[in-house]
Amino acid sequence: MYTSPPPTTTPSNGLICFTNCLLPLEDGSLVSQDLWIDERRGVILDAQKTFYMRQERPSRIVDLEGCILSPGFLDIQINGAYGFDFSVYEKDDETYQRGLYTVASRIVETGVTSLLPTLVTLPSPLYPTLLRLLRPISAPGCATLLGWHAEGPFIDLEKRGAHESSYLRKAECGFGSFEDVYGAANLVEREDWDMSSVDGVDNDGMGVGVRVITTAPEIPGVLSAIEECVKRGIIVSIGHSRATTPLATLAILTGARLITHLFNAMPQMHHRDPAIVGLLGASPFVEGVEGVEDGAVLDGSEALEFSPKRLDDTASLPGSTPISRSSSQPPTPTTAKSINRPALHLEKGQIASMPFERPFYGLIVDGIHCHPNSVRLAYSSHPEGCVLVTDAMKILDPNLSDGIHEWRDGKRFVKEGDKLYLEGTSTLAGSVVTMDKCIRNFSKFTGCSLGEAIKCATYNPAKCLGIESRKGTLRPGAHADFAVLDKRGVVRATWVAGREVWRRT
Amino acid sequence: MRLIIREDPTSVGDYIAAYICKRINEYEPTPERPFVLGLPTGSSPIPTYKALIKMVKDGKLSFKNVVTFNMDEYVGLPRDHPESYHTFMFREFFSHIDIPPSQVNILDGNAEDLVAECKNYENRIKEHGGIELFLGGIGEDGHIAFNEPGSSLASRTRIKTLAYDTILANARFFNNDISAVPRMALTVGVATVLDSREVVVVVTGQRKALALSKAIEDGVNHLWTLSALQLHPWSLIVVDEDATAELHVKTVKYFKSIERVQDEVELAQQQLKARGKITSEQVGSLE
Repeated sequence: MYTSPPPTTTPSNGLICFTNCLLPLEDGSLVSQDLWIDERRGVILDAQKTFYMRQERPSRIVDLEGCILSPGFLDIQINGAYGFDFSVYEKDDETYQRGLYTVASRIVETGVTSLLPTLVTLPSPLYPTLLRLLRPISAPGCATLLGWHAEGPFIDLEKRGAHESSYLRKAECGFGSFEDVYGAANLVEREDWDMSSVDGVDNDGMGVGVRVITTAPEIPGVLSAIEECVKRGIIVSIGHSRATTPLATLAILTGARLITHLFNAMPQMHHRDPAIVGLLGASPFVEGVEGVEDGAVLDGSEALEFSPKRLDDTASLPGSTPISRSSSQPPTPTTAKSINRPALHLEKGQIASMPFERPFYGLIVDGIHCHPNSVRLAYSSHPEGCVLVTDAMKILDPNLSDGIHEWRDGKRFVKEGDKLYLEGTSTLAGSVVTMDKCIRNFSKFTGCSLGEAIKCATYNPAKCLGIESRKGTLRPGAHADFAVLDKRGVVRATWVAGREVWRRT
Repeated sequence: MRLIIREDPTSVGDYIAAYICKRINEYEPTPERPFVLGLPTGSSPIPTYKALIKMVKDGKLSFKNVVTFNMDEYVGLPRDHPESYHTFMFREFFSHIDIPPSQVNILDGNAEDLVAECKNYENRIKEHGGIELFLGGIGEDGHIAFNEPGSSLASRTRIKTLAYDTILANARFFNNDISAVPRMALTVGVATVLDSREVVVVVTGQRKALALSKAIEDGVNHLWTLSALQLHPWSLIVVDEDATAELHVKTVKYFKSIERVQDEVELAQQQLKARGKITSEQVGSLE
């Protein structure tokens, strides 16, 4: 698709200029603009500063011939790929780590440059072993392994999906139960977890390590555990749950910020109790705390202060606060400060202040797990929260043919395109869709632009994980991880840390 | 003075770019003897920059041995502010061509000692042997660089307070907030521009029509600083049809006829050169 430039006569200064390309910005637009990176440090540069302050310009120019230079995709829910299942520990640590390497080194062909290995519900003793091995790792030529995503075991029996019912747990001791299962060492404060290393594999301090726990807030003890998890920098996702509207709302108020594979393994939306799905349309009018029966502690002082107080808060009426225009400061791409806007206000197109931010939500856009109408419905109600996930199983491999494949415990898969069944049944057994295909599907299903679809696989997941200054963005200082796409959304090449690691041949 | 009239801003840009390209290539610049080019900001020169960028990409032109001096910069605006002239030049031109950053000169509007900054700028120009070709644009009030009406025609690089007209015109770049528009700028003087060996000015759009007529049909006048160009031995103004709206028909016809004659003369000179009859370098144009 595109060619490297002829070798230049000038010595390389380690800087690369991508030109003749479209850049997907954080607002979903695609702009025709060059991008400069430092291939030695593996980061994106502020081109103008590099030119005027460092007095340098890239010695190497890469002509992308009109392709899209997207931030590398993030997949925050993936169970395995290329024959390796993150939830299976065979033999020893080394075997497991080899499996991780296989996935990380091969997944780049799908444009994914960061992934969060996801564990299904396992027998409790297995967690400490696996989580200890799931450290943030960035091996040369490989996608970054960001940490781990534990789906279960604190989930609802009735919504367990393909999870093994005998492994499900209650959290009688709240966070203590979480520590029992996952291992206290794996649930330490984020800072300490980031610093520690496993068996000589050093986490190089990339600052991108993340941990996600999918749990059901109706399981006794879970609500209080959520609070402690959030304090320690662990991201809590609601999933495999029957939570009602008030409880789902409370979980968000307590600190959960993600919904696991929206529409799947949760109550369908009922208009009188829209439950978890309804969080996407959360109304500023709803405080959503009454009707909660769980004995969990609620920090009411924060949760309850919202709408009634603000209704009377005349000081926050539009126009009464002087607007400071700081034209002398360059605009920073940080999130907008929340504005105190009363329930009845005068600004068209704006929303009154909400007691909480609506959560991010993972969507499996393989055309099977969610109908295209559902995908569009979710996206239209809350575009900023949309996170594409593959939820792929270990047989994910774009090169694998249709037919029967081994799973585990003597069970076998039948793969038919992107559909995956248990042999002899019509039960969906997870997904085999690749992230680049999810993006193309998403664009088709919602009618949104490719740039907006890309945002749901880059900036949105990175923001959800709180790593949007390093991943999922083209900001200066972010890691130089890219998926080069043609205008049909097909991955032509993938770059990690400033190096091309894969190219379609 | 020559006046070239083209149909629209794009053709004006193409003409000037082709002209500059020819001048740089004929000059055969080397690292020891670079071509020194003065550059403007603003909307008028954008088509010229676009055309020059294309020439660089097509391999017809290189800025490897070109040194540039920009006309002006706001005072107190951070260098990476979206409206700073550093940002403009990088975004519209420098990022797309092959000029080494060390050969780019732009006034530092954040210098601690602004007066010294201006003085050094003049010295740097001198050290480079003066500017070979200064490309400029004009404001609606006929200002060249930030030499607002009333500027001394003998002025050098200095601090300048912006005219209210200019502040109003620039407010659109600052969310229409007049208070956000910088009040001061550093700018090369009229004399700095006149010192360059050749001056090329782009004037496009009906809104610049009055300024153009004042600058070339009236006398030299410090209230229309572009008129100082009348004192320059080698200047070229390239305009589009809209910008001629205030000119006399007679003026337009006259300059159109000059263009034809100039073409004939240049052709004849070229043939003489080819036959080896001209050995010394010739500068200047037909009046």
